[in-house]
Amino acid sequence: MNALLQEYLPLVIFTGISLAMGLALLVAPFIVAYRQPDPEKLSAYECGFNAFDDARMKFDVRFYLVAIIFIIFDLEVAFLFPWAITFGQLGVFGFWSMMVFLAVLTVGFIYEWKKGALEWD
Amino acid sequence: MLALLWLTPALPLLGFVILFATAGRLPASAVAAVGVGSVGLSAVIALIITASFLTTPPEGDFYRQVLWRWIAIGSFNPEVAFRLDPLSLVMMLVITFVGFLIHLYSSEFMAGDEGYSRFFASMNLFVAAMLILVLADDLLLLYAGWEGVGLCSYLLIGFWYRDPANGAAARKAFIVTRIGDTAMVVGLILLFTRLGTLAIPELMERAPQAWPAGSATATAAAALLLGGALGKSAQIPLQTWLPDAMAGPTPVSALIHAATMVTAGVYLIARTHVLFELAPAIQLAVAAIGAATLLLAAFSALNQHDFKRILAYSTISQIGYMFLALGAGAWTAAIFHFMTHAFFKALLFLAAGAVMMCIGDEHDIFRMGGLWRRLPLAFASFLIGAASLAALPLVTAGFYSKDMILWGAWTSGRGGPALWAAGLIGALVTAIYIFRAVFVVFFGEMQIAARSRYGWRIAVPLGVLSVLALGGGFVETPAALGHVEAFSRLLEAVLPTQREVAAAPATQATVMAIASFAALAGVFIAYLVYLRRVRAATILDTSAVQRLHRFWLAGWGFDWLYDRVLVRPFLWFAQLNRDDAVDAVYDGVAFSSRVSHAYLSRTQTGRVRWYAGWLVAGSLAAIAIAVFA
Amino acid sequence: MNEASALYPALPELILAGGAMVLLMIGAFGGERATSPMLSYAIALLVVAGLAIAAMPDERVALFNGSFVVDGFAKFLKILAVLGSIGTLWMSGDFLADPDRRKFEYSVLILLATAGMFVLISAGDLIALYLGFELMSLSLYVVAAFDRDNVQSTEAGLKYFVLGALSSGMLLYGASLIYGFTGTVKFAGIAQEAANGGIGLIIGLVLLFAGLCFKVSAVPFHMWTPDVYQGAPTPITAFFASAPKVAAIAAFVRVSFSAFPAIAAQWQQIIIFVAIASMALGAFAAIGQRNIKRLMAYSSIGHMGYALIGLAAATGEGVQGVLVYMAIYVAMTLGTFACIVSMRRNDKPFEEITDLSGLARTNPAQAFVLSMLLFSLAGIPPLAGFFAKFYVFLAAVKAGLFTLAVLGVLASVVGAYYYLLIVKIMYFDEPAPAFDPMGNALRSIVAVTGLFVILFFAYPGPLVEAAAVAAKSLF
Repeated sequence: MNALLQEYLPLVIFTGISLAMGLALLVAPFIVAYRQPDPEKLSAYECGFNAFDDARMKFDVRFYLVAIIFIIFDLEVAFLFPWAITFGQLGVFGFWSMMVFLAVLTVGFIYEWKKGALEWD
Repeated sequence: MLALLWLTPALPLLGFVILFATAGRLPASAVAAVGVGSVGLSAVIALIITASFLTTPPEGDFYRQVLWRWIAIGSFNPEVAFRLDPLSLVMMLVITFVGFLIHLYSSEFMAGDEGYSRFFASMNLFVAAMLILVLADDLLLLYAGWEGVGLCSYLLIGFWYRDPANGAAARKAFIVTRIGDTAMVVGLILLFTRLGTLAIPELMERAPQAWPAGSATATAAAALLLGGALGKSAQIPLQTWLPDAMAGPTPVSALIHAATMVTAGVYLIARTHVLFELAPAIQLAVAAIGAATLLLAAFSALNQHDFKRILAYSTISQIGYMFLALGAGAWTAAIFHFMTHAFFKALLFLAAGAVMMCIGDEHDIFRMGGLWRRLPLAFASFLIGAASLAALPLVTAGFYSKDMILWGAWTSGRGGPALWAAGLIGALVTAIYIFRAVFVVFFGEMQIAARSRYGWRIAVPLGVLSVLALGGGFVETPAALGHVEAFSRLLEAVLPTQREVAAAPATQATVMAIASFAALAGVFIAYLVYLRRVRAATILDTSAVQRLHRFWLAGWGFDWLYDRVLVRPFLWFAQLNRDDAVDAVYDGVAFSSRVSHAYLSRTQTGRVRWYAGWLVAGSLAAIAIAVFA
Repeated sequence: MNEASALYPALPELILAGGAMVLLMIGAFGGERATSPMLSYAIALLVVAGLAIAAMPDERVALFNGSFVVDGFAKFLKILAVLGSIGTLWMSGDFLADPDRRKFEYSVLILLATAGMFVLISAGDLIALYLGFELMSLSLYVVAAFDRDNVQSTEAGLKYFVLGALSSGMLLYGASLIYGFTGTVKFAGIAQEAANGGIGLIIGLVLLFAGLCFKVSAVPFHMWTPDVYQGAPTPITAFFASAPKVAAIAAFVRVSFSAFPAIAAQWQQIIIFVAIASMALGAFAAIGQRNIKRLMAYSSIGHMGYALIGLAAATGEGVQGVLVYMAIYVAMTLGTFACIVSMRRNDKPFEEITDLSGLARTNPAQAFVLSMLLFSLAGIPPLAGFFAKFYVFLAAVKAGLFTLAVLGVLASVVGAYYYLLIVKIMYFDEPAPAFDPMGNALRSIVAVTGLFVILFFAYPGPLVEAAAVAAKSLF
């Protein structure tokens, strides 16, 4: 059991560092930022919703489409990083595996494109 | 060639499937081609198989064809397998060949009927089921065929279903035979639990090892199988359905209720003869029942007005002879009589059908008369059938088979002369009643207009069956008359042959002479009473005889008796018990089901959060069960 | 490419996944015109995949470090699942002919769902299990809401999605607990560690089972079933009732026997509870239903209860019973739903039971086959449904679970009521107007399943023996 937990030590360190960085970035603006609010600046962005409102409102499904597409390619990158780092040891099979994966994603991408998911109007 | 065996039942089955699937959409000619052709092909294959079997007998005198393993549950793993041995060979030949002739006859007889296709579908299914019954290597498969023929019998008795009386007759046949079938199922279960198999050869091998002769289990098993045989073969006390079964079309009566299905009981007993030999009491009962039935039915036949009912009682009576033979241990004689009976009784029915067709479907023999001039072919074939049934000596098939039975009864260790006497009286009465029909229907004054209008499809079966009803007996003749033993030699491999009695030839000739005399005397009496109308015949009009006549007309009052003893008390009790406590339990089940339905459907609110709550609650409950149970 | 040829056991999955992508491209460039040929391509792909499965050897082959297992068990169930999918597509022709529904994605989604089922059936560890489970589920969520202009259909899709997400969350949580307490996701590894897993492992197991129970719609995880079955378009309901059930039951059986044999006593209790609850609810809650699809939902809940009896027996015979049950269940379900799909007048679907009134007079052949299917669902001998129940009950009795078997028989008596009610309505009530004539595709499904159900008794050997071989590969 302990051996298993020790394997996770890097994860704990990683979590700690990212927590520290995140906090630093959050806190820094309060200290160093230049402040001059006006109504436009305080309102939600044009593509977003009011933060506090009735949940049962109609909204444009396209926002979510974009969000989903973003997540897919985001994950693609998350896969690509470790692959790229260990690329030297993976060999031909590893290379083609990733190519197949990318091809699958491309198929989805082409489908989105043809269906017009990437056009706003 | 023997490998073609599976085709004999498969072809009629295919015919049934085609006719059933097309559901009357085929033109009549196509229906006839399929219906008759399938059985005809089956008969051809049966002939080829027979030729091959006789010329090059397989090893051990039997051929076993395993089609597939039906099911495997523990030690219960019956196979769907056919067994061709001399016994099933004879049965198969008779079924396919007589079946084909009757199908051919029907294609004309039933022409124009709105249920033409339905008729042939049922008939084909019947032939298939009957062949499965006789070819089965396993009692389970035999039972499947057994129920199959019962179903077809039901469907065909009630063929003209628009008349409620026909439906009632069909129901009666089904319910009465069901009583026997239930006994048989119990018997099968008993055999399986005690001997661990239902395959017939193994059963016959294990039974004598497991049970000493006369043991209670063997007796029970044989008695239960006998129950099934009694129902199917319309023997006392389950004989009441057969006369009513004449409500079906005449070819049905010829095929199912004369030639084949009703002899299934005889086949069953012959097939399981080892069991019956282990139970002497039951074998004696078989003989006694046979003797009683043959007499009872013969006297009833003597008093019927309905042409077909005469033949129906005659069938019961003749099967009584077969049972008598089985009980006396004359196994071969029973099967021999089955064969000749199939020929001449089918012939009688078909000839009677032809007569009735030509006179506008009149059934009452006393409204007929003098028909022999108008319908010479029907007359000739009916006369041949009647002669064979009456066992007129030397020239008819019925003579040889009946003689063999009577000789078997005479020489049997059990009952001997008494059984023989019953058979002898039966022979006398048989000759009287059938020649009564001959004289009343075909002689005397013309009372009804008759128009001969049958074509070759009716004429050919009549002709062929006439030849068989005369010549079919020469395969087995007694010692005094040529001593041909082809039939019993053939069956030797399956059925034990009779013991040769020391003083045989002289006694046998005497016994035979007495029987011949009885038959001739019967014909002569019928001639005197029904054609010459001698003065002594007026005794028939006295009130005492009339009462007896009515009693015998009603089949010895068995219907009346069963109605009073069984049906009415049952109905009375059922009515009395209309709101009984047991019923309340079922009502309670229904009520509580409705209540629980009401509660359960209330849980189905359609709200997702409620459903999600159920998921969580269910998981918690499952965790509780896994942890604490 | 030595590695590539090692992928041969995964060939059916590759065929389906690759084929689905090719079809997606054809559809994307072809548009609406591609819809109806697409259906034929998809059926062809499924047939090819089915043949590829049938050609696989019976021996156990493990791929990807044991994450993906092909054995007799997987073969049997994959063929069943693929038959369910083919049946669904086969009966969808008319459904897709409607101009509002001319969407080629339908075929692609069914293909992807089937690929997911294959992965689920072949899963050799928790990751593959989850992967297959999600691929299947996501496709199903979308097809449930396929009739997107229909309120009921969208409601069905949404409910299914929300509850499905919850259940898959539970499954994932259970899987992580199991991983946490055993230190491995491989079924074989879990089997070694399970004996000393303690209470945490049991909680993980229950949550994993909860996710699977949701997919087979076993009580108390069944709540979505009636609403979704009723709301989804009928061919899709037929799909829900057939192929995914096969896959989920497969995963159920495989997880139970290859990962948790050591704590069989515990999961047996859960399965017994779930089986009894499902049979009872399937019997009682269906009594008063008027919508035939809703009725079939309860019917399928009940049937899953019966199938789980075989699992509860925790023996090889029990697994054999489950497999036989699923095979017969798929046939009965497809046949019955093909009849329901054909309940259309003037191109409008009708779903009330009373719409079947007097069908025996307006369409005697259909009425006959439908009654045979219903009799079979009720388990009346000698129809196939009887043998299905017979084998699971037999296994339960042999395993000593007499109470369970008796309760099963009692529930089937209550259940018989509503099947017989439909038969009564078809044969004895005054005829409603006749339905539109059945298309050839529907007719062929009804005929094939009807023949199977009626004639099964004559030659049950091949199926039962195939199931026995498949069951043996798990032990």
